[in-house]
Order: sequence, then C-alpha cells, then structure tokens
Amino acid sequence: MSSRVKMLLAIGFLAALAYPLVVPNYLVTVGMLMFFAAFIGQSWNIAGGFAGQTSFGHAVFFGVGAYTSTILHVSYGWNPWLAWPVAMAAGAVVGWVIAVLSFRAGLRGSYFALITLAFAEVFRILANSVPFTHGGLGMLIRADIRPANFQFGNAIWPYYVAFALCLVSLFIAWRLTQSRFGARLVAIRENEDAARALGIDVFAEKVKVLMLSGAMCAAGGTFYAQKYLYIDPNIAFGIDKSVEMLLVAMVGGAGTIFGPLIGAVALTGINELTRWAAAVIPALKNVQPLSLIVYGIMLILIVARLPDGLMSLFGRPSSKAKPRHA
Amino acid sequence: MTIVSRRTFLAGSTALASTIGAPAIVGAQTPSVKVGLIHPVTGFVAYNGQQNRLGATMAIEDLNKAGGIKSMGGAKLEALLGDSQSKVEVGVSEVEKMNEAGVAAYIGCFQSPVGIAASQAASKYNTPFLIDVGASDLIVTRGLKNTFRLKPGFGVCVDQGIGALGAMNSAAGGPAKTAVIVHESGEFGTGTAKLLSGKLPTIGIEVKEVIPHDNPTRNFDNIALRIRSLQPDLVMMSNYQNEYVLLARTLYQQKVNLAGFYSLLGGGFNYKFAKEMPDVSQYMMDTNHWFNPKSARAQALKKRVEAGGNLFTYEVYLSYSVVELLADALEHAGSADKEKLLAALTASTYKADMLPYAATKFVNGQNEGGRPATLQVIKGDIKVVGPEDVAELKPVFPKPKFK
Repeated sequence: MSSRVKMLLAIGFLAALAYPLVVPNYLVTVGMLMFFAAFIGQSWNIAGGFAGQTSFGHAVFFGVGAYTSTILHVSYGWNPWLAWPVAMAAGAVVGWVIAVLSFRAGLRGSYFALITLAFAEVFRILANSVPFTHGGLGMLIRADIRPANFQFGNAIWPYYVAFALCLVSLFIAWRLTQSRFGARLVAIRENEDAARALGIDVFAEKVKVLMLSGAMCAAGGTFYAQKYLYIDPNIAFGIDKSVEMLLVAMVGGAGTIFGPLIGAVALTGINELTRWAAAVIPALKNVQPLSLIVYGIMLILIVARLPDGLMSLFGRPSSKAKPRHA
Repeated sequence: MTIVSRRTFLAGSTALASTIGAPAIVGAQTPSVKVGLIHPVTGFVAYNGQQNRLGATMAIEDLNKAGGIKSMGGAKLEALLGDSQSKVEVGVSEVEKMNEAGVAAYIGCFQSPVGIAASQAASKYNTPFLIDVGASDLIVTRGLKNTFRLKPGFGVCVDQGIGALGAMNSAAGGPAKTAVIVHESGEFGTGTAKLLSGKLPTIGIEVKEVIPHDNPTRNFDNIALRIRSLQPDLVMMSNYQNEYVLLARTLYQQKVNLAGFYSLLGGGFNYKFAKEMPDVSQYMMDTNHWFNPKSARAQALKKRVEAGGNLFTYEVYLSYSVVELLADALEHAGSADKEKLLAALTASTYKADMLPYAATKFVNGQNEGGRPATLQVIKGDIKVVGPEDVAELKPVFPKPKFK
C-alpha cells in the first residue's frame, strides 16, 4: 500500500469519525445507513466476491442473526450485547449447514446462487409459521433506551457502531488479501478444478468462508433489530435485503476490499439525493418513483460501462485480490 | 466558561443567518406549522401510499383555504412529503430528516412495521405521530406517549366484523356453518387470521382451514381448487389489493359456490374493484374502514376526489380526517409546542364527522370512538349495510348461488 493511499485512508478515517459531530441527525442517520450497507455488503463480498460463491439469499444469515438475538432478548431476557455473539454463531452454523448441503451435492455457480435463495425463502416461511418467532406478527423489542441495552437515544452512537462494524469488515477483507486462506479462496474463485488439482481442500475452504460470511451478516441482523426494534419475516428474510447486499458489492466492485463501501456510499447517496429532490423540487413532486428510476439508470450504466464496479475507476486491477500464496 | 454545544451552535447560527439575511421575508410570511407526511408512494403498496398522501394534502389545502389555525393567528399547515419506499429504515430516515426541518407532527405510514419503527424514532424527539393507516395493535400497545391512532385497530375491527357476521347469519337462519380463511402471510394478514380463527367458533362457524399466501402471489388456481374441495360456506380473505382481487376473480371463474365472501379489512374491497369487476364483486362483503354515507361533507369530498380522476378509498378519508384531528389539536393547544400539542391530542374530543365514529377518546393512544362499517357490493357500487345508524341497505345474505 503506497504512502499516498495510507494518507487518504487516514484522512477518510478521521473524516468519518468527525462527520457525525458536525452534521445534523438526518445526515448522521444517512451515514449510519451507508456504513451498515457497506458492512452487510462486505459480508456478501467475502463469500461472493473473494471466493466466487455468488449468493442470492444472504438474507438468510441476516434474518437468523436478527431473530436469534431478538428471541434471546425478548423471550428469554438476555442482554442484547450478550445475544449478539450467539447470533453470529447461529449465522455461522446456518452457513455451515447451507455450505455442507450445497457443496456436498456439488452445487456451483448459478445453482448455488439459487439454492441460497431457496434457503432464504424456507427460513422466511418458517419464521412466518413457527410460534417462537411470533409468525407474521413479527417481534417487537420494547424500547428501553440505554447503551447497556444496545439501544441509543442519540443517532451518533448507532453511527459509530455501524462505522466500527464497517472497519472490522474492511480489516477482515484486507486480511483475506494477505493470508493463505484468502489466496486459496481466490484460487477457488478463479478456477475451482485447478485449485483442487493444486491440493486445496476446496470443500473445506468454501464451508469456512460461508461460515465467516454468515457470522458477519448475522451480526448485521442483530444491529438492525436493535436499531429499529421490530422485525418480521419479510423484513428479516425478504429478498430485498439479499439484493441490497449483492448490489452494493457488485456496484462498488466485487472481490475488492473497498468495493462494498464505495457501492454503499454511491447507492445510499443516490437514493437519498433523489428522494430529497422528489420532495423538494416542485417539478419533481409528482415523479414519485424518481429515486427508483435514477437508481435503475445508474445500475444499467455501471453494469454496461463499469462491469468491474466503481472500484475500477480507482485502478481496480491492482486492488483486486489475486492469488499470491496458493 | 460557557460551552456551546453543536446543536446550539447550529440552531443559533441558522437563526442568526435567517434574521440578518431575510428580515423582510420573515416579517411578511404567515407563520406555518410543518407536518411530515410519510407514506410508501413507491414500492409494492405505492397505490395505497399515494392515496394516503392525496387525502392528507387535500385536507391541508382545505384547512389553509379556510384560514389555517385560528388560535395561532391563522398559521398555515405546511406538508413535508416523505416516501418510505415500503421500507422500515427509509421511513425512519424520513423521520430524522423531517425532524431537522422542524416538523410539529408526523402522519403515516400505511404499513404497520414502518409505522412502528417511525413512531418509535419520533418518540425520541417527543414529536406527535398520528397513524392514519396501520392495522397492527402493536402500534398502540408499546406505551409510547407520542403515538395516536384515530382509526380502530385489528381487535376492534375483528370483534365488530365477527359480531356483524354472527347477527347476519342468525337472521338468515344460519346458512354459514364453516369457513376457510385465506390471508397474506405478513403481519396484517396473519394477525387478522389468528384473531378470526379464535373468534369464528364463538358464532357457531367452524374454521375448516387457514391458507396463507405470499406477497405478491400471481396465481390463485391451486388455492381456489383447495377451497372448492373443502366446500366451506364462507371464504374469509385478509390480504392486500392485488391478491384480494385476483383471489376473488379466480373463485368466480371457477364458480365456487358459497353462502358468502366476507373479509375483514379486505385490502382490495374498494370502488375500483366494485366498478371494474361488478360480476365478480357482486354481493361480496367486508368490514372495513369506511366513510359515513350520511355525512354531507364526506359525500362532497368523494365527488371532489372522483372529479380529480381518483378513487375515494379509505386511505383518502382516513388521512384527511387525521389531518383534521391534528388541526383540531393545534387549535386547542394554540401552539405547535410539542408538550402542548401532545396534551391536546391526549385530551382530544374531535368528532370525525366524515367517518362513522363517536367523539374521539384516546386511551393509550388508541381512539376508543373509532369503529368500522360493514359493506356489500351491489351492482358495481359499495353500500354500507351496518352499523344500523349509518346503513344504507340491508345485507343480501346468503348470496344467490351460481347457476
């Protein structure tokens, strides 16, 4: 990493730290949403980008995390901070189950993507049906606004938690580019058969990465539940969450360290700007789906002109994780 | 040394800039009260959200034309428009944005999950949140002091709907002995179905099966076949617009003979359905939020809405009435101060004369004076068949069978 890049990162870090202290609460919330989207996008990126295990159903991990901590908190009186690591463990376990079942059956590529979508749907239907999730009624977390209870009265603290989560996810992604485990994942992504021929235990590596990705995504689910204090099966396991994770990574640059963060900043920014424009500019007040129209146009442009995502604008070929120690 | 906080600094500098920069403008302007309208005007329930926005903005226009809030020197209401995009996090983000803009109160959100999270977010600022549409009783059972719902919730609608069905069935000699419940699998449909399953046996109707379906569902052939095989006397539906209409049409196409279709808060039971599919909708019944057909104001509003090419759906008059409730509270409070406004809302006795409601009485934020109406489609029009004091016709029950 060049000294220029290090300096830019340090400036970015300090700017992100100072940001909530100088902007109004609404923009603090927007910043929180960006870092949160970047975090869950990175959880997808680790499996889908670095290891090439494209998933259409990452909401399954998100929902498992959200429901595990909420059930422990609401039904069994656990402190949500303590329930958080358990939720992550639950996400890892579900990742292990999905990985073992899918990879034992030899599912790859689009077949694996579809099976993850099916798992998310199965979990959504289960959450709708079983009594301990309160079915379609959803689960309400009683407001008890205390940091010790993982509930914050001031918008700044959820921002810093989301920022910290994003930093952790960036660190994990960076470590993947430096470690043998990461190199093996990249080898699997580039050519699974060749990786196997090189002696890599492809099955074990893919199981491990899905467990890691599942645990991270589940952590995002708990954060979401504690922030909004209500979850239901559609919120937790709905396909729009899976698409959101996938999009921020793909738009930013899948398989890169900063891709999900760049994608989250771009997509959240576009969404907020266009919603603001639709509400404020008189000529646009009746153009209700403006943000969705612009969002769609941006996606088309990015996919058409920048198939490797926005990171390619910053010289992606050198920043994308490559096999180094395989 | 006095420490100036970030907020104080921002507020002070904004006020200073306003005072120095535009004293003439400030002096000339009529004071206004900002009201945040948060509805899903995009997303899968966009039509409903747009109808909510239509009703609320019409009410604000009408109130302003009538002189604004008189106890506040004719202060005008100013609508800040927000789109929740049918997403919880976007709804909450709108609350934060509108709080920065200085709203005195929020109105929203059509979807219960968004309403639950958004009103929670507004409670941090002690800002009143008026629910125009949002059926879940969780909204008003959390002990929040800032949340008010004018319309009746699940519980009351189910109780009154079941009571009306029981009375009608008894009066007809008890032709309905069994029912199948079809509901959307979200919070609204599941909650209604759960309550129905418990209460139908109390009026002598056995529930043969409860059938959930997803949103969206684009084919009801299998569900219709299942219903045909179960041969119930009643089909009870609890779902949103598209699925409601599609299921009704499929049952009609397959000529499933029933004593009646009876829904509670049927999302598709509206003028659009009745007018566009008069054969399918004929004799279908629903207990739902409805206007008082004997109210001249409601009829006048209906004409205006329809003249504008829109349908007079429940979202329109519920949002319209909720804006009136807020205006009434502002009149009594004489101020947009949040504490005073909350006190005025808590003590409100506003009479929503366009709705079949008694005077408003909030208990834990829920209006105890609200009640739904029982409705039936007759030849492409919707008629109120209960409660008796507002009924236009007697119900046709059981409905004639297919030949």
